[in-house]
Amino acid sequence: MWKNYLKVSFRNLQKRKLYTGINLLGLTIAVVSFLAICLYIHHEWSYDKMYSGYDRIYRLNQEFRSEGQAELVSSTPSSLIPTLIDEVPEVENGTLIFDISIFSTVMVDNGEGNQEEKAFAYADENFFKVFDFNLLAGNASQVLAEPNQVVLTKSTAERYFGTANGVAGKALKIDNRDYVVSGVMEDFPSNSHINFDFLASFKTHRHGKDPEWSPSNYYTYVKLKPESDPQVFEGKLEQIVDKYLGKDLAEYGYETAFFIQPVTQIHLGDQSLGSIKPGTDIRYLYIFGIVAILLIAIGVINYVNLATAEATERNKEVGLRKAMGAGRSQLFGQFVSESMLLTLASTVLSILALYLIAPKFTSISGVPLNMALIISPLGLILMAGFIALIGVLAGIYPSLILSGMEPIKALANKTKMGGGAWVRKSLVVFQFFVSIGLLISTFVVKSQLDYMQGVNLGYEKEHLVSLSYHYNMREGIETIKNEMLRSGAATSISRAADMPIHVKAGYRVFPGGDNSREFMITGYSVDTHILKTIDLELIAGSQFSENDPKRSDLEEGTERFPVILNETAVKEMGWTAEEAVGKTINLGFNSNSEIKGVVKDFYFNSLHYQVSPMVIFNDPDQSNVLLIKLPEGNPTEHLATLEGIWKELVPERPFNPVFVDQAYEKMYSSEKQASVIFGIFSGIAIFIACMGLFGLVSYVALRRTREISIRKVLGATQENVIKVLAADFMKLLALAAVLATGFGIWFSNKWLQDFTYKTNISIWPFVISISLVFILAIVTIAYRSWKVYSLNPAKTLKSD
Amino acid sequence: MIQLKEIDKFIESRFQRVFILKGINLTINEGEFVTLMGPSGAGKSTLLNILGLLDEDYAGEYWFGEKNITKMRDRDRSALHKSEFGYIFQAYHLIDELTVYENIETPLLYRKVSSNERKSIIADLLDRFNMVAKKDLFPAQLSGGQQQLVGIARAIAGRPRILLADEPTGNLHSAQAQEIMEVFQELHKEGTTIIQATHARENADYGTRLIQMLDGKIDQDEVITHV
Repeated sequence: MWKNYLKVSFRNLQKRKLYTGINLLGLTIAVVSFLAICLYIHHEWSYDKMYSGYDRIYRLNQEFRSEGQAELVSSTPSSLIPTLIDEVPEVENGTLIFDISIFSTVMVDNGEGNQEEKAFAYADENFFKVFDFNLLAGNASQVLAEPNQVVLTKSTAERYFGTANGVAGKALKIDNRDYVVSGVMEDFPSNSHINFDFLASFKTHRHGKDPEWSPSNYYTYVKLKPESDPQVFEGKLEQIVDKYLGKDLAEYGYETAFFIQPVTQIHLGDQSLGSIKPGTDIRYLYIFGIVAILLIAIGVINYVNLATAEATERNKEVGLRKAMGAGRSQLFGQFVSESMLLTLASTVLSILALYLIAPKFTSISGVPLNMALIISPLGLILMAGFIALIGVLAGIYPSLILSGMEPIKALANKTKMGGGAWVRKSLVVFQFFVSIGLLISTFVVKSQLDYMQGVNLGYEKEHLVSLSYHYNMREGIETIKNEMLRSGAATSISRAADMPIHVKAGYRVFPGGDNSREFMITGYSVDTHILKTIDLELIAGSQFSENDPKRSDLEEGTERFPVILNETAVKEMGWTAEEAVGKTINLGFNSNSEIKGVVKDFYFNSLHYQVSPMVIFNDPDQSNVLLIKLPEGNPTEHLATLEGIWKELVPERPFNPVFVDQAYEKMYSSEKQASVIFGIFSGIAIFIACMGLFGLVSYVALRRTREISIRKVLGATQENVIKVLAADFMKLLALAAVLATGFGIWFSNKWLQDFTYKTNISIWPFVISISLVFILAIVTIAYRSWKVYSLNPAKTLKSD
Repeated sequence: MIQLKEIDKFIESRFQRVFILKGINLTINEGEFVTLMGPSGAGKSTLLNILGLLDEDYAGEYWFGEKNITKMRDRDRSALHKSEFGYIFQAYHLIDELTVYENIETPLLYRKVSSNERKSIIADLLDRFNMVAKKDLFPAQLSGGQQQLVGIARAIAGRPRILLADEPTGNLHSAQAQEIMEVFQELHKEGTTIIQATHARENADYGTRLIQMLDGKIDQDEVITHV
């Protein structure tokens, strides 16, 4: 029986090439997108499950509380893990990682010159016991046990030594310290939140030898004993705080607490905590999942629409089979097997296509497509289930329609398809609703992105280059600055703690001086040239002068050192900009600071957040970068000049200029990724929907060939004919457009509510999306009508 | 074997009922070869469809042996339909996507006949109608007469007790028509009950009983005697 079903199905599909082609292509594209998204989501969900006992591994996060404000961070003190291992019985083991890339890079030398490396971290001797990554060389309990040991990943070893074999025991100079390569490990898997090229023994580090309760710079992980209750463990953390930390912090007005976070929840958890590797916002996964299902739905709807539209042609076959004794379930089986066959074919094609697009997908999403997952036993079972589900979903409605026809009417071709028409119409509306909705969403995401890239930030990021330098270069940095200015390749240079795009140092204003309020404030350490270099607008007072005392002079306690505030900070204290100048405030230093000037607010953080109070310090020694304003002209040439000076003065340090505007764009990479992905998927959705429309119009045109021919004979022009055919579909599209507009308004509010500074959504995304889809639909219909119109009426009418 | 009591079939239109069949009382015994004749619109095809359980939308009673069809459950009716009836159509109505062999096989599949049995039944039929060489051809590759032979082979493959034929020779020229009628005669001799609707008086001569229909009623009912 099944053999017969399949045979008939196959011949049917073969016979109707247009129909099969549209369905196959539509479904295949939908399935490819679906599978790609599934693999992506699976990858994101699979994070940090490769360690044995992963469900007992937790990262400790630390909360700082003060004056009703709380900040949770993922870094903790170096004393925490040794204390926990010693004193808390629930702890089976634990490890500490110190990711130095937060602060600076390292220089690695294997005897052939320095290379700058970013993915360098210290880890303590328990690292490989908690995270049992595979070591290709070296013993897990020894590789990080002694000072000056370093473990390389396989590809790092190959990069430095040409091979991963026999590397253990070789010497490597890192930041002028001699290390011994103690082990080689497999590269970190892409779905581990830990990812480094170098792991040095924490014993090499000062705090590795003498752990302390401050600063909180280290990631701490614990593995609890199998029977222990995490809640109980978390309770014991309070006792640790009371015992070791409470008093000291209370002096500064802080309270602290530690919380546990399962290691598997780091990647998709709260992104503001910070992590070794940037995580993924789980909402994106939900959105992508929904989009995947919508795409499949559009593909399935194509099938349903075409199959029911086409049912008229199969009346005869159904009637016959019934007359020969086919039961409803047998007919049902036949039509469902046809849709299954199609789904199977498109799934096979999709898997092949997926192999082709895998590299492209990886480069867009940054996630490797694990094709092995698809051909694994579980993958195949799921795939079979998927084919069955989609096959049944696609086949069920047409089958019901077809198998339910009365044989006499079916044979006489008298069955009216009126019953199925409203279903078909609603499905078309749904398809175009999704297409237009996705398109509007794309435009909304894109316009916010454009807004963020084009908004006036309050400083000038064009032609601005940031050049990081090492702390121990601070003695000679003024010489470098002066040489660069003299060369003419820089118009202004300021030392600064960081690029103005993200300034993070947290300070606090205490009551004192002329101010009575207390609040958090961001501090920005710079030198006297900052206003000119990044074009900050001074609205009151004056900027720093060379004679002003620096913060580093403060320890003498003799002089008030001047600060510049932003408007928000001044407002927070209840002053106007003019009033503020000359007043003194208490920043918790030995003496109060005097407000020398007030600058207009500028965005020193992501536009997701409100501009907060800021204090600008004249404090060049706390700076890590040179902000260099390039003159007009070719930036590459200017940079070459600057590099020449750099190489001459500090040949051992890398010259790594970063354009501030590019770094700024990078901050919004996840938004950018979302906009690209939305763009791709809405394109796909529109394509599939238009193909379905093409198929439907084809059938309608075919059925109305006679009518169109008569109209032509009576003198109808081509436009008239297109209008006749288009009228019905245009009504459906109009309804879809109305629904999509509603969705679009909802979506844009939802999306933009995450941004404090947002674009005003104009009418254009809606107008453009709707017109685009209408134009495509009209072209589709026009093409089809033209084909029918161009038939010779003499022939079409005669054959009737 | 078959008894129709006061069968009415009508279409409700806005102002009146249009009767297609009115007050049909008819008894057909096992082994008869009945010919329905009459002008177009007399109700031949409608009556045939009702007899063959293809049309359930009528008033009156239909007794098949001891069973009242009109009161039967759908499932039983379709089982009866499957086991007792075979159909032959004027327009052959073969399935275009299936070969000769597969067309004949289809009703057997619906009757869940085992694979081996199917093979032997089909082989016999192909042999009987001299179509062995054509078994892998598609309907479009056959002449009208050959297609109708396949139609007959398909109709009798399930060994029905009653064979219904609606204008079986309507699309054929006379030589082919004669061949088809001879096949019917042969089947009749083997014991199959045959009911055919036709316009051609000469076809009636192959049968045992002739029913003339006019305006939805039985006009004449006569026995055909063979000389």
